[in-house]
Amino acid sequence: MANWIPLWVHKLSSPPNFYRFAGVLRPWALGLALLFGAIALYGGLVLAPADYQQGDAYRIIFIHVPCAWMSLFIYGLMAVASFISLVWRIKLAEVVAMESAPIGAAFTFITLVTGSLWGKPMWGTWWTWDARLTSELVLLFLYLGVIGLYHSFEDRRQGARAAAFLAIIGIINVPIVHFSVNWWNTLHQGSTVRILGPSKMSSDMLWPLLTMMVATKFYYIASLFGRVRTDLLSMESGKDWVRQIADQEGRP
Amino acid sequence: MSHATLASACAAVLRRDLTLAWRRRGDIAMPVLYALIVITLFPFALGPEDALLQRIAGGAVLVTMLLAMLLALDAMFRGDIEDGSLEQLMMSPQPLALMLGMKILAHWVTTALPLIVIAPLLAGMLHLPTAVMPVLVYALLLATPLLSLLGAVLVALTAGSRRSGMLLALMLLPLCVPVVIFAAGAVAAAQQGLPWLAPIAWLGAALVMALVLAPLACAAALRIALDA
Amino acid sequence: MSPFSWDHFLTMGGYAAYVWPAFAVFFIVLAADYLSPGLRRRRNLRELRARMARQSARQQQRTPASP
Repeated sequence: MANWIPLWVHKLSSPPNFYRFAGVLRPWALGLALLFGAIALYGGLVLAPADYQQGDAYRIIFIHVPCAWMSLFIYGLMAVASFISLVWRIKLAEVVAMESAPIGAAFTFITLVTGSLWGKPMWGTWWTWDARLTSELVLLFLYLGVIGLYHSFEDRRQGARAAAFLAIIGIINVPIVHFSVNWWNTLHQGSTVRILGPSKMSSDMLWPLLTMMVATKFYYIASLFGRVRTDLLSMESGKDWVRQIADQEGRP
Repeated sequence: MSHATLASACAAVLRRDLTLAWRRRGDIAMPVLYALIVITLFPFALGPEDALLQRIAGGAVLVTMLLAMLLALDAMFRGDIEDGSLEQLMMSPQPLALMLGMKILAHWVTTALPLIVIAPLLAGMLHLPTAVMPVLVYALLLATPLLSLLGAVLVALTAGSRRSGMLLALMLLPLCVPVVIFAAGAVAAAQQGLPWLAPIAWLGAALVMALVLAPLACAAALRIALDA
Repeated sequence: MSPFSWDHFLTMGGYAAYVWPAFAVFFIVLAADYLSPGLRRRRNLRELRARMARQSARQQQRTPASP
């Protein structure tokens, strides 16, 4: 491997070290996520005034927008981890990429459901072929494809490498889909309703939104670390350090 | 030791695949028959009203072509993996991407070309105006190779996995969304009397990109998927 | 800013049927996502312990038989 990568990265990327590191950090990440989430919910649901156009229904954006942002952010992170895993064959990068996919799919799912719950009172319909909603749906299919390909291989590492390749193809595809869906929408004069105006947000509404974005980031770290720890244990189940952990947890 | 020249190797792969396909002529007819059946079902489902059928004709033919191609895509490398000739190809001194490109070309000729030939007939069954037919054929001539190339990469990725049929459809959907949008957009624009060259040009640009990149990606994917 | 009232909070100005399910989906999906690896981990470790127990039992059987 290249010399410019500092030594601590090598040490951290060894499975037992990362297992311990993630175990220490995970409760802190979850605690911060819950703290920021609670502040954001209080700010969003109680302190922020009702919108003069949409009444209280707009409060769904305090989870809708952070989840939409996370669904893209996690896809990008998964693609970066996939690239690292294919180029340098680091086991940890494979695990991070593959365990990010279900979290990203969960956020995409929440985005779609909350979007449709918001759309019903605003647009009068649960689903509209709006450019952003359609792109989000395609993103969900991308995630499901990656997860499905990963699980269709007998050999886990081979499946991870194939799915990592698919994730990289997907990240090239995301802007193309977004561009083509926008073009398609203008062609068919779709119902593009602009709810989130560029400068309409007052600061009472903006700070809970940004706080929720921070909370979802910490949640992602917590969930990812938990998943990576589980995956490392089952991938390395023949090794000594895993046997020790199994032994310790077996004692009452 | 002398290697066969690149051109003769390409010709050999192409000739072999076309011969194999010709020996199983029934398989070539299958996607065509499938497309015919699906198009026949549309009037039964929607009623024989001319104006309605005319409006959906372009989109219905395009989606049917896509599904028919998806049906045949699964088998692209299957025979070659089972009899081991794909591994021979991977170990041959010629560049794998080029050889796979030839295989994709052979696959396109045997599955997509018959579909394009009957496309005007299918569109005619749904009363697509004759003036729009050439645009439909242009769109198909650019969109089907694009789908073959993109599909080949995904088929290569699933080469070493257990199940693939439905998974392949799931993986292909996000990739074919832009293709369907631009191909159907061109047909719809021509039908409304609007300029249709821009979406066709986008498809052409995408095809040139895919012609260069997809065989390379396909080779890389195959090496990953079959790397035991 | 209007003073806080529980009634207004719970009815969400008439949009309660949309706002509260959205938040419920958010919390349920994320909780399921967070808890599922824990269950998988416990199952994996249990299987591993069973395998270790079988291995050690086999070794103990073999030891007295050897001369």
